[in-house]
Amino acid sequence: MSSSAIDIKKSLLDAVLAGLLALIVFGPIVGVVLSGYNFNLQFDRVGWLVGAVVIGRFCLSLFLQSPRGERMLYRFETAGSGVHVLPPDHKSRLLWIVPILIVLAVIFPFFASKYLLTVVILGLIYVLLGLGLNIVVGLAGLLDLGFVAFYAIGAYGLALGYQHLGLGFWSVLPLAALMAACAGMLLGFPVLRMHGDYLAIVTLGFGEIIRLVLNNWLSFTGGPNGMSVPSPTFLGLEFGRRAKDGGVPFHEFFGIAYNPNIKFLFIYVVLFLVVMLVLYIKHRLTRMPVGRAWEALREDEIACRSMGLNHVLVKLSAFMIGASTAGLAGVFFASYQGFVNPSSFTFFESALILAIVVLGGMGSTVGVVIAAFVLTVAPELLRSFADYRVLLFGVLMVLMMIWRPRGLIRISRSGFTPRKGVAP
Amino acid sequence: MLQKIYKKGFLALAVTSALGLAPLAHADVVIGVAGPHTGANASFGEQYWRGASQAAEDINAAGGLNGEKIKLVKADDACEPKQAVAVANRLVDQDKAIGVVGHFCSSSTIPASEVYDEAGIIAMTPGSTNPQVTERGLSGMFRMCGRDDQQGIVAGDYIIDVLKAQKVVILHDKDTYGQGLADATKAQLNKRGVKEVLYEGLTRGEKDFNALVTKIRGAGADVVYFGGLHPEAGPLVRQMREQGLTATFISGDGIVTDEMVTTAGGPQYVKGTLMTFGADPRKIPDGQAVIEKFRANGFEPEGYTLYAYASLQALAAGFNGAGENDPAKAAEWLKANPVATVMGKKEWDSKGDLKVSDYVMYEWDEQGKYHQK
Amino acid sequence: MDGIFLQQLINGLTLGSVYGLIAIGYTMVYGIIGMINFAHGEVYMISAYLSAIALALLAFFGLESFPLLILGTLLFTVCVTGVYGWVIERIAYKPLRNSTRLAPLISAIGMSLILQNYVQISQGARQQGIPTLLDGSFRFAIGDGFVQLTYTKVFILVAAFAGMAALTYIIQRTRLGRMCRATQQDRKMASILGINTDRVISYVFVIGAAMAALAGVLITMNYGTFDFYAGFIIGIKAFTAAVLGGIGSLPGAMLGGIILGVAEAQFSGMVNTDYKDVFSFSLLVLILIFRPQGLLGRPQVAKV
Repeated sequence: MSSSAIDIKKSLLDAVLAGLLALIVFGPIVGVVLSGYNFNLQFDRVGWLVGAVVIGRFCLSLFLQSPRGERMLYRFETAGSGVHVLPPDHKSRLLWIVPILIVLAVIFPFFASKYLLTVVILGLIYVLLGLGLNIVVGLAGLLDLGFVAFYAIGAYGLALGYQHLGLGFWSVLPLAALMAACAGMLLGFPVLRMHGDYLAIVTLGFGEIIRLVLNNWLSFTGGPNGMSVPSPTFLGLEFGRRAKDGGVPFHEFFGIAYNPNIKFLFIYVVLFLVVMLVLYIKHRLTRMPVGRAWEALREDEIACRSMGLNHVLVKLSAFMIGASTAGLAGVFFASYQGFVNPSSFTFFESALILAIVVLGGMGSTVGVVIAAFVLTVAPELLRSFADYRVLLFGVLMVLMMIWRPRGLIRISRSGFTPRKGVAP
Repeated sequence: MLQKIYKKGFLALAVTSALGLAPLAHADVVIGVAGPHTGANASFGEQYWRGASQAAEDINAAGGLNGEKIKLVKADDACEPKQAVAVANRLVDQDKAIGVVGHFCSSSTIPASEVYDEAGIIAMTPGSTNPQVTERGLSGMFRMCGRDDQQGIVAGDYIIDVLKAQKVVILHDKDTYGQGLADATKAQLNKRGVKEVLYEGLTRGEKDFNALVTKIRGAGADVVYFGGLHPEAGPLVRQMREQGLTATFISGDGIVTDEMVTTAGGPQYVKGTLMTFGADPRKIPDGQAVIEKFRANGFEPEGYTLYAYASLQALAAGFNGAGENDPAKAAEWLKANPVATVMGKKEWDSKGDLKVSDYVMYEWDEQGKYHQK
Repeated sequence: MDGIFLQQLINGLTLGSVYGLIAIGYTMVYGIIGMINFAHGEVYMISAYLSAIALALLAFFGLESFPLLILGTLLFTVCVTGVYGWVIERIAYKPLRNSTRLAPLISAIGMSLILQNYVQISQGARQQGIPTLLDGSFRFAIGDGFVQLTYTKVFILVAAFAGMAALTYIIQRTRLGRMCRATQQDRKMASILGINTDRVISYVFVIGAAMAALAGVLITMNYGTFDFYAGFIIGIKAFTAAVLGGIGSLPGAMLGGIILGVAEAQFSGMVNTDYKDVFSFSLLVLILIFRPQGLLGRPQVAKV
């Protein structure tokens, strides 16, 4: 790594080459705009883009030749791998963040507007989904591209349970987790003997099959028209302005003015508690034998099997626990939206959840929480860019991946001191 | 020959507008324009935005809403229910909108309208034709278009009375709009004693319907009814003709755009295609001046452009009629009074549907234009 | 065989050969770096736009004869799409070469969002299309029915198989192909033996993009219409085809494409179009349960 003088000639050459490429890439698509069987030429836009690329490449090239840039390049080329093991008596310096976050979450609804509240609810739903998929992909190493199927089962569980059996939010909540887990088991048995990427496509197929069936089975699921979902109730009190089925609305019972936010506040509170519970369970699971087995299986399946680990059971448990979390998320999503239809459960949704897990750092809980908020709040924040919103979202995804290919937070685990008298 | 098809290209010295955000003046009232501004249906979103923008400009020039200027906010739902709810909450909460022109896809309009109802603001959809949009007892939900069940009756009667068809195939695109429309037509046909020979759905976004076309051929159909939008209708009709199937092709207002010809691969394929649509807003004399304005800006006001224009006009008339910018009063006023819009005089019933639906049959000709039959 | 069955077979073959062409891009990239390139469907979409643009420009300059027109369009589209393939690899995947297996997957999803919206912003959200280039069709009477085969479809079948044959030749017989196969078998060993594996990987992306471009021209000719969203569904189908045939295997991709196309056509003809996709995914799951490596894939040998 020589920190030689900056070679301007090389940078210029880089810039010219990049400009040429940009001309080929942007020239036709940006410069010739089709309209009907006609076309308009807009070369000024190509000029701007190519100019930007040339200047950008030149600056980048100069930067990469500076000592800081060289360090960055070096980091890219030698990305370490595996789990980072902390010293045995390591205490995280970031531990104080947890109570602060909890306090923030508790006082947040008192200041939030309804819009903010709904965005945060959506964020929390994706936290749940991310946590669920994190068990499957992050811990057990099973690439699942159809995770949205379990989410759909939860959401439709509430809608169908209400329509056909008259069940409410509270009774469906545990049922949905159970149903999703069963679906996970049904899917899991035949496919778990497949290797990594075949599993991916089979789960993708499963996700699509569930969506297509929901869409086509008109008499049962309402097809593309979707189904309406009841609002959650609190001890039998409803949150609507007018109670349905002759009940008493929440605001009348407590003698307060009607406030449409109450429903969302309620969902927020319950959701927050469930997320905390799932976080805690997951935290404990990773330290239990089954959690250790997941990770061991991810690292080396053959070694595990030769040591007598029942790989089917271990994988199945990861699949089922992940699925049940998604089922819970589905119930919250359905009652948050008040309406479900199949277009909420497309492949893109699965991809988004996977992005949360990978971006957060495979297996890392805090990372998943952060990534879930980043990926759900970012599109909302980008709304002021109007047409460029989704484009910028894509750029963000690519850049974050390049910046942190192992996720925002690297998974780490505290080590153990070997006991005396035992050979290391 | 091809050179003739590709008309002479020209150099457009388009100045790309800067990404500047307009400063928010205080005395403005905000109206949201909600629809698919991105995603697969973005062309309809563009029609909405063009129509509403022109309307806002004209209304502001004429005094605005009770003296206050309208400020439009673009609200993108990409035709996804999840985003529709989020953006509806944003309109209500962040932008403090008092009215909404939107949404487009019925599956977005339905959940979003619940949000508007809770917030007590008024919404007028230029294009959501699913009956459920106004059937749920929401007081502030209106529409500027007809309903699928009305459209289906017109199509069904036409198939029986004019085409005298015996073997009818009904197709849909498995979406709220398309399937609703196909079901309405099917119901009318069945009511009048004609049983369809085939009823199937195709997948939106696909382009290959050859297998389906062969099946239709096997069924010996003489009329094919399709509930859906032009991205699928175009290739479908082309593949029918390419396989030598001469059955009449009928669809609804989802194919009302010049792009129908582009997607079908040329006017020779769409020739003879029928569709139901409200009496062409471009033919109504009230709107000629407005249409000229659109054309002067280089935009043909097709499809839902004028519907969006009229929707904003109606909302403005409601607020001005009520005398104050109160959505609840404006909704009451609209249900009691007719409004003169760019599309003629419109009246609403207590559910928020138009009192008179004016669906008529159109036919595409060999030049790739549509005419009222 | 009656006319309807034969017609469905032809429908399935044309659809399947196109799936196969796009599946090649998935399977080659997977074979060489073990990554699912989710942006590949978008590469096809770009090539559809490029072919329409090329056609419009050529016709504008007065080129009339069909062979010249189609040759010019093909050349332009394949070259520019190849550059797209290279640039995408350089920007979104190369920095992630030594990282986890899933990082490029997410980056690919981001890339596909970028490409979709980039085309939407620069070309507008309109449906685009090209006029019919080859009019007319063959018509054969069979029994009491008939089979109708447009000239365009004949052209597609011929061109698709010619493209696959050319690719097979390149991979099996040329120096470049040998380098590709070496890199696929053992990247580390190949680089020790003096192959610039980074460059080979770039070539693979370019070849994949070029095959997608061929598919783009053919599909655009056949269906005449496309939009910025067109890459998604066909991408998923082609990916399914690649897995069906055994991901990483070239003949597998072609076979998988054709099986998928024919199965879809026959199922929607005989049973129901609504459940066509359910059927094809179920078929995939079934095949994978009994043959986990796909039809022509090599079984994975686990090394301890």
